[in-house]
Amino acid sequence: MPFSLVYYLSHFARIEWVKNFFAAKTAPLETPPYFRGFPELTGELCQHSLFCMMACPAPGAIDVVHSGKKWEPRIHKGHCIRCGLCVEACPHGVLRSGRILDTIHREHTTLSFSFRIDIDPDKCMGCGNCAVACPVNKVIDAQMSHGGKASTDQLLLRVNAGKSEVLHMEKCTGCKTCENHCPNEAIRVSRLLEAVQNPEAP
Amino acid sequence: MSLLQSIKNYVRSRSIHVSYVDVGSCNGCDIEVLACLSPRYDIEQYGIYVHNNPREADILLVIGAYTPGWEEKLATLWEKIPEPKAAIAIGNCPISGCLFNRPHTYIDPPVAKHIPIAAEVPGCPPRPTEILAAVLAVAPIVFRDFEVKR
Repeated sequence: MPFSLVYYLSHFARIEWVKNFFAAKTAPLETPPYFRGFPELTGELCQHSLFCMMACPAPGAIDVVHSGKKWEPRIHKGHCIRCGLCVEACPHGVLRSGRILDTIHREHTTLSFSFRIDIDPDKCMGCGNCAVACPVNKVIDAQMSHGGKASTDQLLLRVNAGKSEVLHMEKCTGCKTCENHCPNEAIRVSRLLEAVQNPEAP
Repeated sequence: MSLLQSIKNYVRSRSIHVSYVDVGSCNGCDIEVLACLSPRYDIEQYGIYVHNNPREADILLVIGAYTPGWEEKLATLWEKIPEPKAAIAIGNCPISGCLFNRPHTYIDPPVAKHIPIAAEVPGCPPRPTEILAAVLAVAPIVFRDFEVKR
């Protein structure tokens, strides 16, 4: 009797079948666990290292703000592109997104930063705004006069013979203060991000 | 509520016609909108239909960072949509300009300056489920009891 017309019709008269036919056919789609959503706070204490802001490729996507008693990274939806670089860059694990933190612990990966300063000699007027504004210079030589001339050669930037020159590139922290203070757009700071993997590390 | 109004509410809840316009993006969000049509997401099972003609549409999906070529054109396109209507900004570009919002570029975000935006879906690009959820969340707010509210 399994192949009769009645069996055929009773198959289509089942309540579940009728419900599925008229209602949505696929179940509500779940977000997969490997999906990198907007970064969330894990509850670790933010140390204000600002690596997240340095690594972020989207303008205005992340800010580290002081809320009440402690620092806290804040993601701006509508600017964030969910690349997860801030999660990887943070040395304290403040942010979380998808499986990125698990992968970092398993593979022992880190991001290494280096910065490169390019000065266009055709545009540079030698005004010294970059050298005076630089917070690294301020620590080394607090007495630096206007015009960017200095006695010591341990500085990051200095004006020599009417042009800015970079002395110690490795001291740069990538804050881009010089770029913001240049009146002629002659100086450019670029970030070089390198992923490093060390599986032997404990 | 009159019987006619309740019939209209029922029909409109299962018949949402969507048109999309790209005002200068990288096409990532366009692909996500078209992925909604694929069998995995299948927006037509929720009664959402995609058109290319704004005169047939109820909801306009705006994608992209508003390049100068769209000045005047987008507002004209918005006026062509019959009432009741709503516009949804898809992706980061219509909200903030995202990566294209650099010095010395000609884009003019946000799109909300040019046409009224009812909802924004952030993400670069947003997932198809997020687009679907936004359309399903906006539609009852705009279309339910439209004649009564007006």
